[in-house]
Amino acid sequence: MPATPMTAVRRSASHRAPPPASPGRPGWRIRLSRWDINYTPYLLIAPFFVLFGVFGLFPLLYNAVVSLRTWRLDDPTRDGWTGLDNYRAVLADDRLWNAMGNTIGIFVLSSGPQLVLALLLAALLNRRLRMRTGLRMGVLLPYVTPITASTVVFGALFAQQFGLVNNGLASVGLAQVDFRAEKWSSWLAVATMVNWRYIGYNALIYLAAMQAVPKSLYEAAALDGASQWQQLWRITVPMIRPAVLFTIILSTIGGMQLFTEPLLFDTKPREATGGSDGQFQTIAMLIYRTGWKELDLGRAAAMSWVLFLVIVGLAVVNTVLTNRLSGGGRR
Amino acid sequence: MFTLRSRSVRALAAGVAAALVLTACAGTHDGDGGSPEGTVTLRVNYWGDFGLDELVPRYTAAHPHIRIQLNAGDYSQQHEDLQKFLVAGSGAPDIAAIDESQAVQFRNQASKFVNLLDKGAGAYEDDYLPWNWQLLRSPEGRQVGLGTDVGGQAICYRTDLFEAAGLPTDREKVSALWPTWEAFLAAGKRYEQGSGGKKFVDGAGLFLEMVIRQQPVGYFGPDEKLAMDGGPRVGWELATALVAEGLSANLQPFTPEWNAAMKNGGFAALTCPAWMQGYIQGQAPNTKGRWDIAYPPGGGGNLGGSFWSIPAQGRHTDEAYRFVEWLIQPEQQIAIFKKVGNLPSQPALYDDPAIRDFRNPFFNDAPVGRIFPDTARKVTPQYQGRLTDQVRTAVSNVLDQVQQGKISGPAAWEKARSEAERAAR
Repeated sequence: MPATPMTAVRRSASHRAPPPASPGRPGWRIRLSRWDINYTPYLLIAPFFVLFGVFGLFPLLYNAVVSLRTWRLDDPTRDGWTGLDNYRAVLADDRLWNAMGNTIGIFVLSSGPQLVLALLLAALLNRRLRMRTGLRMGVLLPYVTPITASTVVFGALFAQQFGLVNNGLASVGLAQVDFRAEKWSSWLAVATMVNWRYIGYNALIYLAAMQAVPKSLYEAAALDGASQWQQLWRITVPMIRPAVLFTIILSTIGGMQLFTEPLLFDTKPREATGGSDGQFQTIAMLIYRTGWKELDLGRAAAMSWVLFLVIVGLAVVNTVLTNRLSGGGRR
Repeated sequence: MFTLRSRSVRALAAGVAAALVLTACAGTHDGDGGSPEGTVTLRVNYWGDFGLDELVPRYTAAHPHIRIQLNAGDYSQQHEDLQKFLVAGSGAPDIAAIDESQAVQFRNQASKFVNLLDKGAGAYEDDYLPWNWQLLRSPEGRQVGLGTDVGGQAICYRTDLFEAAGLPTDREKVSALWPTWEAFLAAGKRYEQGSGGKKFVDGAGLFLEMVIRQQPVGYFGPDEKLAMDGGPRVGWELATALVAEGLSANLQPFTPEWNAAMKNGGFAALTCPAWMQGYIQGQAPNTKGRWDIAYPPGGGGNLGGSFWSIPAQGRHTDEAYRFVEWLIQPEQQIAIFKKVGNLPSQPALYDDPAIRDFRNPFFNDAPVGRIFPDTARKVTPQYQGRLTDQVRTAVSNVLDQVQQGKISGPAAWEKARSEAERAAR
C-alpha cells in the first residue's frame, strides 16, 4: 500500500521542470522543497522504525547473541561462548516438548472455538438489534478487564473444593474435578479464560469488516432463496477474509506466547512450573522459569528463539491454509 | 498567521527546554538526591510493612543530609525487580530487602552486592543467630545481608476443634502431645477419629519443608552434593504419611481455598511462623480466641524472615550501610517488633520485656514472645546449596502430585528423587 503513493509523489517531483533560477543563486528553497518531498515521508514513518529497532529488532538480535553464550546469573565464572550447546540442551529437554504440547493444546482449544464464536457473535451484532451500540461495546468488556483480576476470578470458579464449576457438576450428579491436576482439565480451564477474554475483541474486528460488505449481495442472495446460514458462510466469510486472516495470525501469536493466564491459574505462580507436573506450563512460562527462576539466561534465550521460529512457521502455514480454504487459491 | 506560528514554535521550544531541564534534574536525582547542598537520598525497597514509617523521621532528624525514600512494594515483584536491576547493572535501590526463601538466589550473586564485612558488619556477627548470619554469606565469604527479622516456627491449632475431637486444648498439654513427628501423626489420627473424619492439617507442603529444615543436612551437603536420602527422605516420609493417612486437607498455602478453609475450620492445625499470626488474623477474623499456639514437634524451626542488602551498583553505599547499621540496633529492632511484630534476628533482644512478655490475645493470649524466640534459637544451622531453590520446587511439586492422588508410595519417592536430581544438574 505505501509504495504506490510515495513513488507517485517522487515521480511528480522529479518530473517537475527546473525553475528558471537566477544565475549565481543555487535555489536552496527549491532544493529544500525537493528534499522535503523526497525525504519527509521517511521522516514521518521513522518513529515506528526507530521504536521497532530499539524495542523489537535489537532485543531479538541481542537474544540471538545471548543464546550462543553461557550466561548463568548464579555462576558468573562460567560465562562465555558455547556455540550451539544451549540449543542442543534445550531441544533435548523433554520439558520443552511438554511445554510445546501444552501450548499447542491450549491454543487449539482456545483459538478454534474463539474465532468461530466471535464470527457468530459478530453476525448477530451486525443485525438490527435493540441497544446495538451498547451490546457492541459490551462484548469488549472482558478485553478491558485487567487480566490478573479476571484470572483470579476464574481461579476461584475452577477451584477444587469450593469452586462454582465443581458445585455445578455436583448438583447434576457428576464427579468433582480437580482442574489443576490433569492436563485436559487444566487446558480446558485456561482455554476458557482465553476465550472469554478474546471472543468479544475478535467479534468487533469481524463486525468492522462486515460493515464493508455491500448490502446488495445479501439482497440478491435472499432473492435467490439463500438462508441466513448460507449467507453467512457463502458471502460474509469470503468477503471478510482479510479480517479472518488477521485474527488467525494474531491469535496464533497470542496463543504461542500465552503466559499470564496459566501462570496465575497455578497455586504456586511464583515458580511458573505450570502445575505439579507441568500440566499447563506453556513455552513462555518455561522461558520465564529458565531465565528468572533457574537463572540460566543463555538457555532461556535459546528457547525464545525456538519459540520465535515456531511462530514464524505457524504464521506461514496459517497464511497458506487460510488462502486455500477461503479464497480458493486466488492471489 | 506568522505570529501564531512563531508563538507555537516558541511554546514548543519552551516545552523542549523544560523537558531537558527535567531530564537533567532526573539525571542528578539518581546521583545525589537533586538537592544542591549535597543531601543524599537513599531508596529502600521492601514489601508489606517493615515498621519503618516512624523510624525514618528519627533517623533523618539526626542526619539532616540524608533523605530516605521508602518503597513498599509487592513481595514477588520486589525480588524480581531486584534480580533485573542486578542484571541490567542499574536501577537498583540503595537498600533492598531480601526474603529468607530467596536468600540463596541472591547469595549466589554476591559480587553484585556490597560485602558488608568491608563496611564493618563483622562486629555484629556474635549478636546474630548463627544460622541466620550464615544464610547470606556466600561461599567466598562475602556477607550479602544483615538479618532484620526471623519467623521462628510453631504449630497453630484450633482449641474448639481439638476439644470437639476429644484432644487436649491447653497449650502445655498439646505441646506435650507431640514431642516427635510420630507423635504428631498419632495425634492427627486421634483427631480424625474423634472428629468423624475431619482433616487434621492444611496440607503437606509446609510440613515437608519444616521437617527437612530440622535435619542436620538439608537438600545439599556443604560439598554441594545432593543428599536426598538424608534429611529430605525424613521430611518426605512424614509429609506423605500425612496424606496417606488422610490427615491432610491437601490445600496449597496462600491460595483462596486455603484461606477459606482457615475461616470455616477446614483444618485444625498448621505450621505457624511468627508472621503467620498476622495472616490468620487478617484472613479469619471470625476465629478470634479459638486458636492457640504450641511448640512444634522435633525441636526448633524457622520459616521466613528477611535481610537488608546493599546492591554494589549504588553510589552511596557508605550512607546506606550506616542506615542499615542503625536499623539493626536493639532500640530500632524493639520498636519494629512493637509496631508490626517482626521478631528480631538477634537473640540477646529476646530477653527484653517488650518481647518476652508479649502475648497475643487473638491466640488465646499465647505467650508468643517466648514461643517463637525459643524455636528460632533451636534452629539447626543447615547448609543451603546453590541449587536448593530449584530442588525444593521440584520435590514439592512431586508432593503436590501425591496430594492430588496422581502418584503414591515408593514410586512417588523415586519420582521425587529423580526430579531432584534433574533440578540439581
